[in-house]
Amino acid sequence: FMRLAYLIGYGVEIEKSPVNSASLSMLSWPKPATWPSIPPDSSAEVMAKEKTILQAKAREKLFDIQRKPLPLEPSSLLREANRRRAFLSVGNLSELYDSVDGSGLGAHSKLSPNKSSSNLMTRTMSGPATSETSLPVDRPMRLSEIHVAAEHALKQTISDPDFMTSLSSPEEFESRYMELTKGAADNYHRSWWKRHGVVLDGEIAAIFFKHGNYDLAAKSYEKVCALYSAEGWEELLADVLPDLAECQKILKDEAGYLASCVKLLSLESSLFSSKERQAFQSEVVRLAHSEMRHPVPLDVSSLITFAGNPAPPLELCDGDPGTLSVAVWSGFPDDITLESLSLRLSAFSSADEGLKAIRSTDARVLVPGRNIITFDIPPQKPGSYVLGALTGQIGKLSFRSHGFSQDGPVDTDEFMSFEKPTRPVLKVRKPRALVDITPAVSSALLMNELQWIGLIVKPIDYSLKGGILHIDAGAELKIEESQMIEIESYRSDGEHSSPIDASKVLSRPTDTGRVEKVPIENGKIKLPDWASDVTTLVWFPVRAINDTVPKGTSPASPQKHSIVDGMRMIALKLEFGAFHNQIFERTIAVHFTNPFHVSTRVVDKCNDGTLLLQVILHSEVKATLHVKDVSLDLQAGFEHLGKGDGRPTSSLFPLVIAPSSKAGILFVIRLSGTKDLDELEQADSMLHIKYGISGDRATGAHSPVPVKPDDSEELLFKISLKLKRPVLDPCLAVGFLPFSTDCLRVGQLVNMKWRVERLKDLEEASLSDDEILYQVDANPQNWMVAGRKSGHISFSEAQGSRIEIAVTCVPLVSGYVHPPQLGLPDVGDANISCNPAGPHLVCVLPPTLSTSYCIPA
Amino acid sequence: MASTACFVIVSKNDIPIYEAEVGSAPKKEDLAYHHQFILHAALDVVQDLAWTTNAMFLRSVDRFNDLVVSVYVTAGHTRFMLLHDSRSEDGIKSFFQEIFLNPLYLPGSRIASSHFDTKVRALARKYL
Repeated sequence: FMRLAYLIGYGVEIEKSPVNSASLSMLSWPKPATWPSIPPDSSAEVMAKEKTILQAKAREKLFDIQRKPLPLEPSSLLREANRRRAFLSVGNLSELYDSVDGSGLGAHSKLSPNKSSSNLMTRTMSGPATSETSLPVDRPMRLSEIHVAAEHALKQTISDPDFMTSLSSPEEFESRYMELTKGAADNYHRSWWKRHGVVLDGEIAAIFFKHGNYDLAAKSYEKVCALYSAEGWEELLADVLPDLAECQKILKDEAGYLASCVKLLSLESSLFSSKERQAFQSEVVRLAHSEMRHPVPLDVSSLITFAGNPAPPLELCDGDPGTLSVAVWSGFPDDITLESLSLRLSAFSSADEGLKAIRSTDARVLVPGRNIITFDIPPQKPGSYVLGALTGQIGKLSFRSHGFSQDGPVDTDEFMSFEKPTRPVLKVRKPRALVDITPAVSSALLMNELQWIGLIVKPIDYSLKGGILHIDAGAELKIEESQMIEIESYRSDGEHSSPIDASKVLSRPTDTGRVEKVPIENGKIKLPDWASDVTTLVWFPVRAINDTVPKGTSPASPQKHSIVDGMRMIALKLEFGAFHNQIFERTIAVHFTNPFHVSTRVVDKCNDGTLLLQVILHSEVKATLHVKDVSLDLQAGFEHLGKGDGRPTSSLFPLVIAPSSKAGILFVIRLSGTKDLDELEQADSMLHIKYGISGDRATGAHSPVPVKPDDSEELLFKISLKLKRPVLDPCLAVGFLPFSTDCLRVGQLVNMKWRVERLKDLEEASLSDDEILYQVDANPQNWMVAGRKSGHISFSEAQGSRIEIAVTCVPLVSGYVHPPQLGLPDVGDANISCNPAGPHLVCVLPPTLSTSYCIPA
Repeated sequence: MASTACFVIVSKNDIPIYEAEVGSAPKKEDLAYHHQFILHAALDVVQDLAWTTNAMFLRSVDRFNDLVVSVYVTAGHTRFMLLHDSRSEDGIKSFFQEIFLNPLYLPGSRIASSHFDTKVRALARKYL
């Protein structure tokens, strides 16, 4: 049908689509014995046909896409028709048609000059023929003539009137063609040959388009494009998609048009020339910047692809920001401006892309090919992250790309562009320790003196650049802010700030022994830059304050201070980090102590009442103490003997006490008489020690930091000692003189004798009475006292005077019994010394056998 | 050697993963269009036929004027389609079998290996 229509001249109506071209160009011409010739009187028809031929012009395609039109002829019709004319020989033909262009429009031909003349009229046919009623039989037919001849021939041969109607005019032909195509398409679809069906839908669309029925045309074109796109036959798609785009543009279907343009750009670049691709891009950009009624997102997954760095993933510490560089490929033919570009990262383990998108810098231009874009990443939660989607804006439209690609050389030839990369690009470490601050010295420092406290600041794989250390001293601790802080590099083997030894191998020669002094303000120290990556020692001066006077110990008053008394707390806070959001807090305890602990004891007591008092100085620090002088202010009730200046007996100063060892000092004192018991109770002796200390601040206590230039190195320590008067202060001794007989018998008289002796002179003793009352206590059931039970005695006032008291007693029971005791009721027990002591129990034998005494049971 | 031949490998998702013009005739652009179009349309026929027969090699499944489409279906439902003018069919069968045993191929992806391409052309010269 189409072939015949073509012969008649309706070929201009036939769309030069692949299907038509494939069908018709492989369908050979009909082969009549001779080609029908033009009937006479057909010049008007010929002219009409000429007109249609000349008016036919190729449909202009959108985007100026120029393609060679597909042929609908298996071979040139002009040639074929004329070949089949009887009179012309093949030889003539070849001469005549050397320059014939087989495209089917008005052909020009030239006769070669050396043509043999045999009634051949030579004419150049450059325009419409002049009117001629008869054609010389040896002139080749023009195309229009061929058409007319064919029409007439067919009119005579076709018997079916319907068929003839459909060939009678272009409109009839077209409607019949449409009918047949629709029918065929429907049947193909019903039999599930959807590709065949869809192809014919494309033809139908072309016809709709020609008649301006763009809506229906677009619908049909969409079907075709959908199929080709789904099955990935890009060459076929490249042919039809511009038509669809044209319909969409005419219908003002902005979204559809935009999608089509993007799709056109996404096709293989070899299918279109670069000018055409640039045209697509400019359309996309134009639409993106225009006011679309319904803005749609663009899916540019094949145009904008991205990949992470082939390098190992960026590693960040928890809470730190960073920058990530990503390679982005643009498949656009020209530079394209992106209003914004954001990257989504998704956590490796979870499927959700819940992470906030990370924006890059605003408005950038992507050049065709590879671009490197850096994104600033804000602090993220710990985990492993892979690249998610790339989003952004072109003009007013947002776009999204899931297209991953491989950066660098592709190691396999086959690569699926939609495989998700599993290689993480960002790893955020779990929160970990980034820095450690520990006290440098664990042993105690001097209380009440200005001492250095050292802190070891150790970064753990992290830079402390810009860090600020806050030091907050607790109660009873004061930081001396007038002094500079010393920061020195720390070497863990203890060799810090030592001179560089050329023979030693140093790992970091530039940092050895580096000391810097920085000021402290309001408890804040700024770490210098050189300290950001190395372990440093920070020394700052503090004074621990303790206003209470320490007390010494003696056997009578044992030690009861606790270690907490000397502990002081320091709160440290280090603010650091790339974002200044890392904080390290620690409270450290520092111990302070007095240089000495003092204990006393009486080492000897002489008969004349002097006491040798030993004062033992215990060194409480890990430093050498040099005792320069000691003096003791005695409390009431005691007095010094000797020089009386309160100094020890021998001069052994300066006394050097090694760390944690002790030394003793001897004083000679004696009791002095006072009457005031209250005064005696509350008085304290005060020991004054002048000393010096030589120690290393890195080890423990050390010589105090000199604040003023003329601070002496002599230190003063005061400690109170409580000397107690002896509890027992005997001035009288009561002694039991031995029995005269060995055995005591019941009923036998026994003489019990006690001797009372004065130990002290009467004035010194606390007794004032001259006469002393005595009393004999005995259990009346066991003893019978025959004699005076109590009475007064008086004897000489001098020390050492004695008197004997004798009392006769009779034991009444046998066995071991308590003997009678002599007591001095008026004298306090403390003043009595039982020396020699009396027996606790005496053995009483049963009476000699006698019938005289019968004691009732 | 066939003057006209176009060889396409279509995956089971109907996506062409490889195409080559292996004819000896000079390549014409419009002819290429035809070949694409004809082979694509022939998929309809193949999908009908493939389920009806156990054979791998479906001979000429479609004719289009004087061009013939021959198809070889693999077990994974990958189709090797050859568009050619009428020629001996044995050659075609051997051609398909040689290609089948020459994978260099990842299932589903496009074949971009130039090595494969060279091999295909060599085989085409040999058998067609």
